[in-house]
Amino acid sequence: MANLLEIRDLSVDFKTPRGRVHALRDITIDVPEKKILGIVGESGSGKSTVIWAVTRLLAGNAVVEGGQILFNGEDVLGYGEDDLRRYRGEQVSVVFQDPMTSQIPVLSYSRQMADIQYRRSERSAAEKRRVAVDIMRRVGIPDPEERVRQFPHQFSGGMRQRASIAMALMMDPPLLIADEPTTALDVTMEAQIIHLLRELKDEFEATVVVVSHNLGLIAELCDEVVVMYAGEVVEQGDVRQIFYRPKHPYTQALLECDPARVLEQTRFLPTIPGDVPDLHAPPKGCVFAARCPKAFEACRKERPQDHEAEPGQIVRCHLLAPLFAEQGGAESVSEAAPSPAGANGEAATEHDGELLEVEDLQVRFRTMGALKALVNRVADPHVDAVLGASLALRPGETLGLVGESGSGKTTLGRTILGLLPAHSGSVRFDGRELTTLSESDFKPLRRDMAMMFQDPIGSLSPRQSIRSLLTEPFEIHGLKDLNVQQEADRLCDMVSLPNNFLSRYPHELSGGQARRVGVARALALQPRLIIADEPTAGLDVSVQGEILNLMADLQRAHGLGYLIITHNLPVVRHISDRLAIMYLGRLIEQGDCDSIFERPAHPYTEALVRGVPLPDPDKRRALVSIEGEVPSLANRPPGCEFHTRCKYAQERCRKEAPGESELAPGHRVRCHFPLNQ
Amino acid sequence: MWIYAIKRIGLSVVIVLLATLALFALLHMIPGDPVSIALGPRATPEIQARYIEKMHLDEPVVMQFFIFIGNVFQGDLGADVFSDRPVALTISEQLPFTLVLVVTALGWAALIGIPLGCFSAVRPNSLLDRITGVFSVGTIAVPSFLVSIWAILVFAVMLRWLPVIGAGESGDIVDQIWHLILPAFAVGLGWVGYFARMVRASMLEVMGENYIRAARAFGLRRRTIVYRYALKIAILPTITLIGIGFGTLLSGAVFAEIIFSRPGIGKLIYDMVLNRNFPVVQGAVMVTVALYVVITLLSDLVVAWIDPRVRTTL
Repeated sequence: MANLLEIRDLSVDFKTPRGRVHALRDITIDVPEKKILGIVGESGSGKSTVIWAVTRLLAGNAVVEGGQILFNGEDVLGYGEDDLRRYRGEQVSVVFQDPMTSQIPVLSYSRQMADIQYRRSERSAAEKRRVAVDIMRRVGIPDPEERVRQFPHQFSGGMRQRASIAMALMMDPPLLIADEPTTALDVTMEAQIIHLLRELKDEFEATVVVVSHNLGLIAELCDEVVVMYAGEVVEQGDVRQIFYRPKHPYTQALLECDPARVLEQTRFLPTIPGDVPDLHAPPKGCVFAARCPKAFEACRKERPQDHEAEPGQIVRCHLLAPLFAEQGGAESVSEAAPSPAGANGEAATEHDGELLEVEDLQVRFRTMGALKALVNRVADPHVDAVLGASLALRPGETLGLVGESGSGKTTLGRTILGLLPAHSGSVRFDGRELTTLSESDFKPLRRDMAMMFQDPIGSLSPRQSIRSLLTEPFEIHGLKDLNVQQEADRLCDMVSLPNNFLSRYPHELSGGQARRVGVARALALQPRLIIADEPTAGLDVSVQGEILNLMADLQRAHGLGYLIITHNLPVVRHISDRLAIMYLGRLIEQGDCDSIFERPAHPYTEALVRGVPLPDPDKRRALVSIEGEVPSLANRPPGCEFHTRCKYAQERCRKEAPGESELAPGHRVRCHFPLNQ
Repeated sequence: MWIYAIKRIGLSVVIVLLATLALFALLHMIPGDPVSIALGPRATPEIQARYIEKMHLDEPVVMQFFIFIGNVFQGDLGADVFSDRPVALTISEQLPFTLVLVVTALGWAALIGIPLGCFSAVRPNSLLDRITGVFSVGTIAVPSFLVSIWAILVFAVMLRWLPVIGAGESGDIVDQIWHLILPAFAVGLGWVGYFARMVRASMLEVMGENYIRAARAFGLRRRTIVYRYALKIAILPTITLIGIGFGTLLSGAVFAEIIFSRPGIGKLIYDMVLNRNFPVVQGAVMVTVALYVVITLLSDLVVAWIDPRVRTTL
């Protein structure tokens, strides 16, 4: 089997004001022709640097210290400007992570696609356009003749990513690189894009390199896998070797941390303790030694060699050296999960009443001003972001609120906290009605309710130190008699941040540390309800577990009620007692976490549950579970709002909106024909 | 695009009307009797009565406003208090001088400033970038009347290359251009710096965007990427700045007009304020405001024409 691309001993440094960062060190990767190779790694592993090196698009402060990148036997690193133009786009092309920012907003697709074909001067403008329309059709964009004239902002996220793929395939390149191709997309879109990539790879007979932190995506898509850690390749092999018989302790730990792989429902997720080493001065021995439970003397002193564990499976670890083979233990690598005994909401039994009750809540947004509505003859210039939502939460309980973007889940959370006005319905906290309270009456209650915002770093003011961020809640609520400095120390301890972090600023924190500050801030006033918006978004798998475990610990200690808003099903599964699924502003299914995962009653819930790519190469899905896209809120489908995408939809669903029915105590669904019951 | 343009034009008409109303109200709120302000304390009762009748000062204020607006739509901005000349005529004589000066000044500033900003953004920290940086800050910091005086000293008094006073013989285009050079240089110099800074900053930001990296990954030519992709977006804030600059200079070029003894709207307003010739002031300010709105409208339309996202925002 020939290799299309061979990376040989590649080392890349970045020059920074603090010295050189050794971002890649002696990377060797073979990309076999007509295969899909996955590169997995967490942030800081250098996986993106590999892509930029291969496309010769490294940032200006990067220095290639050594090595070769052989494409069809030619060294890409020796290419001049003219060679590069022949190489980029023609020989290798890239599908970018975020389709929202990787397409130029001021040019139509037909223009962007014609520009990519500039080397084909023999093609007339009309021919270039025909090629563009043709490739748009092949990636599954409906009405390509029409759509090709549009601009990126007129496309939805999923469609944009399809257009990105179309642009990358435009010149029929033998090598396609996909950089986190589904990270910015919703679960149902992710499934569609994975499916499309697999189809196109066969159709175009291309070789594909997929870079991702998402183990599910890699297992679903790839033939070969390369695992990277802190700028080195620690293990590579075929997908089954990596997922079923991982040899490197890091690979093993990474796989164990993935919540989608932890099958039994447990409150405590495994994590990898410690941090990625500082690459200004990489460790002398093995890069993973500091976090590796199996590490021994030699690991800290000597760099491990590459060993072939099985045919094709190469592992950079001392444990595989014949000399040390007997030293490795067999026990699990990641930090042993604390036993979850009694974790499931025992605190809940201490209280009787509901902590939070939402009844028939409706939230509307104005889409245009009164004058404009009058001019355009729009009778009702509103959209309903949340419609008839009812839910309840007991103290010590965790409710997972799940939905895709635009489902209204964040709006619901904010309305509960009084950050957005409710149109009708009621929100009761501890039996007290909130929707009618004035801001001044609401303020004392805000101490009991806290919000953890989505973006951990962005929601912290960059000009405030961590200390002042942590003590701010006390000042807002006028708690002057408290020793706030002591409180800051206490909060720091509570979320296991070292005390010397108090004088730092948000940009100096890693994502996980910033998230801890967010948790500490939310807990400062000892609230009883926490609304957490995507608490694990943007965190690495190994850190996700830490935050979720911390939240679970604090819940047990303080009897907190959690409302967790997320699109990430594997995560909520492990921390929620109950789930509520939202679609187009309606709660379409609610019930026990287990019963929803085992017997989803609504077809949408089923699609979500089955739509998560599993980190198991033998459980690849043959079919895309859900077609189409979320309709616009301004244009709700009649009848059941899901019927446009539902594969079971019948005549009745198109005409009549389903009411809510109770299938089992606490398991409610809004569907005419619930599944599997 | 058409829908956006129509809406935007409608909005501009409303703004001009509101601005006229505000201007009218402001002039009426000036304390004192408008008649004695306009005619001076020594005017005879007959003259005063004639003036009151001519200016409809016996009508209610609201009626006065409508009469004024009605006259404006007929091209009548009132008459000079002293000479009884139609204000519209005076303004139409003076306005071209100002327009030519402002267009030339901003034109050369844009022609030099935008490419300078572009080059320095493409090669940040190069020698050209550093020189441009110092030059920009320098020209922005020096007030334009100082530039005018030095320009006169160097090019007219010492070198005797260029004329100083007036706008040139009417009808003699070459002479008029000859007289335009120094004032246009003086007025435009500061704007070269503004444009260069502005374009450089937005260009640097755009060159770091993901879509530029994507365009490079698709193998597009560097020329295409810089001038057809990046500049097209980076130029947008500068277009808005040109619009604002134009509006500001309509009356703001007054320094240059006084120093170079050029006719123009700014100088007209200045003279007429000193003479308390309020009908002329009112008419001139109104025309300036209307022009300002028209220019802003034009720059917004250009921005919308380049950036499709803007079209849906109104």
